[in-house]
Amino acid sequence: LLFSCLVFLKGVGTVERKNLSEDQAEQFFRSGHTNNWAVLVCTSRFWFNYRHVANTLSVYRSVKRLGIPDSHIVLMLADDMACNPRNPKPATVFSHKNMELNVYGDDVEVDYRSYEVTVENFLRVLTGRIPPSTPRSKRLLSDDRSNILIYMTGHGGNGFLKFQDSEEITNVELADAFEQMWQKRRYNELLFIIDTCQGASMYERFYSPNIMALASSQVGEDSLSHQPDLGIGVHLMDRYTFYVLEFLEEIHPASQTNMNDLFQVCPRSLCVSTPGHRTDLFQRDPQNVLITDFFGSVRKVEITTETVALDPNLVGLETRVPNDEMATEPLKYAEQLPVAQIIHQKPKQKDWHPPGGFILGLWALIIMVFFKTYGIKHMKYIF
Amino acid sequence: MAAPLVLGILVAVTVRAVLYRSSLAGFISERVEVASPLNAWKRVVEGLALLDLGVSPYSGDVFHETPLIIYLFHFLIEYSELVFMITDVLTAVALYLAVQDFNKVVFKKQKLLIELDRYASDVAELIRTPMEMHYIPLKVALFYLLNPYTVMSCVAKSTCAINNTVIAFFILATIKGSTLLSAIFLSIATYQSLYPLTLFAPALLYLLQRQFIPVKLKSKDFWLYTTQYAALYLCSLVVIVCLSFFLLNSWDFIPSVYGFILSVPDLTPNIGLFWYFFAEMFEHFSLFFVCVFQINVFFYTIPLAVKLKEHPIFFLFIQLAIISIFKSYPTVGDVALYMAFLPLWSHLYRCKFFVFDSSHPHPHSPWGTLNSNTTDVYCVTYTLYISLLQILLISDYFYAFLRREYYLTHGLYLTRKDGTEAMLVLK
Repeated sequence: LLFSCLVFLKGVGTVERKNLSEDQAEQFFRSGHTNNWAVLVCTSRFWFNYRHVANTLSVYRSVKRLGIPDSHIVLMLADDMACNPRNPKPATVFSHKNMELNVYGDDVEVDYRSYEVTVENFLRVLTGRIPPSTPRSKRLLSDDRSNILIYMTGHGGNGFLKFQDSEEITNVELADAFEQMWQKRRYNELLFIIDTCQGASMYERFYSPNIMALASSQVGEDSLSHQPDLGIGVHLMDRYTFYVLEFLEEIHPASQTNMNDLFQVCPRSLCVSTPGHRTDLFQRDPQNVLITDFFGSVRKVEITTETVALDPNLVGLETRVPNDEMATEPLKYAEQLPVAQIIHQKPKQKDWHPPGGFILGLWALIIMVFFKTYGIKHMKYIF
Repeated sequence: MAAPLVLGILVAVTVRAVLYRSSLAGFISERVEVASPLNAWKRVVEGLALLDLGVSPYSGDVFHETPLIIYLFHFLIEYSELVFMITDVLTAVALYLAVQDFNKVVFKKQKLLIELDRYASDVAELIRTPMEMHYIPLKVALFYLLNPYTVMSCVAKSTCAINNTVIAFFILATIKGSTLLSAIFLSIATYQSLYPLTLFAPALLYLLQRQFIPVKLKSKDFWLYTTQYAALYLCSLVVIVCLSFFLLNSWDFIPSVYGFILSVPDLTPNIGLFWYFFAEMFEHFSLFFVCVFQINVFFYTIPLAVKLKEHPIFFLFIQLAIISIFKSYPTVGDVALYMAFLPLWSHLYRCKFFVFDSSHPHPHSPWGTLNSNTTDVYCVTYTLYISLLQILLISDYFYAFLRREYYLTHGLYLTRKDGTEAMLVLK
């Protein structure tokens, strides 16, 4: 009896283990994202905006460290700080006081540099409307399974972000660009981080689904810089990105830290401004969203020696919706080609005709005048 | 007399038809002397196109015609060339009939005055004979039809031709003595462009003359008739305005048409006096000067009425000329209308100061070509020159007319009290 029980339990154990690996295999098909991209933009030039370049390079460093390759990163730096003639430590961009962390390194690939960082180029990168001669490294070749991280930093205001001291991008433009991306199926999920003054105004106007946004300050507040370095002579980083960098340094490709922790980074006591975030457009609960979903390019690989029989129907996939996810209406893409409208042309506008009352009145008057001048006696010749 | 007129009409129609088919048509319709913002053909087409798209044609500053023109051209837009040729013919015929009647009246009056012995004894050469007056109606009609200005304005399809037709019918009705028709046509003319309002006075004077009502301020008959005429005129004006409201169910046309005429917002160069002055004026003063300029048009009516109350048709002619010189957007079509009357007064040649031919020097307009300050000055001087010529012409005729009247009553060879020859001087 005991032996049969053991055999039974062993059988049950193996069945369970098999179910577990099947579950895990099926989980592989659960998520909608298969690749990661990052678009990192620094919009300010001049030496005293060193910190914006340092911000962007810090995020670049983290993102690269967590697995996103250079081919999937579009890095836009508006000025060259590392080789700036005023840089006392050439070929370096430090992000930490006492020069502890050089984010420039020797494997930084800048895709859009200097004057190429314009609003037009940025929007073209996002929407994919790039001239055919653009090299691959300058393109955002995302598809509808890409999770994209967009990080922007620079000087901004209520509703706009300044590019290069000569032009601006507005929050409306940005929202429309994201909507274009959605309609062209260029992203699965999008994380938008902005570190500028009044940064929250930039994500106010988003209306496309699956966007999560973070900003370093609310409308009406300024984002402040962290510390100046007396050796270099400028502020090295902004506070928000500094603490984000510290936070990201703890992350490794296998961490399970989720977005809620990122929202807690840099509270008011440390940042002076109030960071904000926006998750209403995002389908999943931020608690279930891993940091590495956006900041890293994590491949779920697990080696198993046993064969797993996958159910080709995968019936349970749709019904296995976790309870704590928001029940939203099913997403649909806009019609790419409105065939119905093209086939059935709009009906031709009816021509204007003078109203009957007018014609009647006018001719009645004319006839009255005619008869008044020429006498009623002519009437009998007409009728 | 009908045959030569018909021949003239045929020639005129042929000329116009030929020009319509030639390449000059496009060139002429672009000229600013012929097409003003008020009566350009492309604006009519634009307004009708807007209407077809469901938008009020008065929205946007493009269409400044009255709703009756909309109604007219809505149905006739494909035959527009025919329409303009017919209007020209109608104008010529109306002028012909009017002048024919007028000549009869003039002759009758002259006979009366001779019998009443009002004329001095030695003015035989100034008396007009039926022989010389026989061809005047034909001349008038041909002057209008074959005048290059009229032809140009017809080929450019400027609705000035329609205005001219209405005024010609008004003159015909006045000379025939029909109060109702005269009032109605005058109200249509005023409704089309505001300025024929000033023609109310000469028409009234003529009709009073016809009714043998003397113009005395105390006379009851005078006031009765005046109020009658004024009431007819105003009522028909009101009726027409209200009727045009019903065309588009909006009062949009009033600011677009009359507001535009009075406030002169469009300052493209034309042969008038308004544009250059207002192009260089500070906004602060523009209202004042617009008022001054507009009053200038209406201002001459009363003094002329006082001076020319015996000769209302001459007054009408002078008034027409003043309107076409001083109105806010004159074109050569307006000039052509009053020029058609010149044969009526050709008997004044003896008393004229300047000898003007009935045709002005040909305008060579540099407007479309250069875009510089020199063009500006050249345009302006040219515009002013044309206006000056017209004014000189009119004042010359006026002076000659008055002089002739003076000679008729006081004798041709003036002698002073002491018997020496005297010269007549206009003070």
